[in-house]
Amino acid sequence: MSETPQNPAAQNSTQPRVVIVTGGSRGLGAGIVESYLASGDLVAACARSVTPEVERWRTEHPDRFFFATADLSKSADAKAFVDAVVERWDRVDVLINNAGVARDGILGMATDEDIDVVVDLNIKGTLYMSRLVSRRMLARRSGSIVNISSIVGRSGYRGLGVYSATKAALDGLTRSMARELGSRGITVNGIAPGYLRTEMSHGLDEGQMGQIERRTPAGRLGEPVDVARVCQFLTDPAGSYLTGQVLVVDGGLTS
Amino acid sequence: MSTATADVQKTVTDFLSSIEKLPEGFGADTPLYADGAGLDSLETAELSATLEDVHGSDPYSVGEMPQTLGEILAFYAGA
Repeated sequence: MSETPQNPAAQNSTQPRVVIVTGGSRGLGAGIVESYLASGDLVAACARSVTPEVERWRTEHPDRFFFATADLSKSADAKAFVDAVVERWDRVDVLINNAGVARDGILGMATDEDIDVVVDLNIKGTLYMSRLVSRRMLARRSGSIVNISSIVGRSGYRGLGVYSATKAALDGLTRSMARELGSRGITVNGIAPGYLRTEMSHGLDEGQMGQIERRTPAGRLGEPVDVARVCQFLTDPAGSYLTGQVLVVDGGLTS
Repeated sequence: MSTATADVQKTVTDFLSSIEKLPEGFGADTPLYADGAGLDSLETAELSATLEDVHGSDPYSVGEMPQTLGEILAFYAGA
């Protein structure tokens, strides 16, 4: 069933893509939304709340930006969001599974609720979205999915046991979905960012941040744009032979 | 598109043709899987997604596992 690669020139269509970014209201997700808006695409984002960035995009790109509040740990919310995107733009070309939450603390002190909140959004939310969107992509035999995991899913991190477990799970999902969907022209890849200067790193104190910077060959923490560039690379329609990979984007920290 | 019998039948036969699995004499009672059209699990998922994409719903997504075109048509007829 595999199809031969198309002429790369033919793949460089000027038609804007329909891009979904989950958790796209702040931090890394906001950086990814900015990137796809800058590349002229139609961008749908969801998050639990509206932020000033969301309000700005709504004003600046009323025809190319769509936002809905959603709690993706609830299957019904995920379905309502995807249905709204398809209702508006008829298809989904790119899915960036970025939504995630972390609760830091030693596992032995974690409550059931701490574990449920992190597992439900990071794993179940990603599964719900991937299931819904991959069906749309299957019907059209094209699309790209990127799962945002983390280097702590590989290396571990003291106090982030649950979060690390969920991010390692996403890497497994990436490889499995790539195997399932590769013959249908759908690529599935992952990005494992290092430590970014976003709200997700606020659980780290200044000493920890300084130590990470000193140990990073690039000499700095990552910025959302560093990851957004890799998202663009992994979702380039001409990149149909790159699938099932998790790219580490950490300034060389874990090299 | 509507969920009229002719439209749903066309969606299914077009799909089977596109994956080169439309059996000769395909009809309402022809099995969709082994000993019939021979759909595998991924192709079944594709059929499910295509039916939803074209007709707005599909039997697989509500937990049914139709064995024949006739059972797919019955789902839409009863919807």
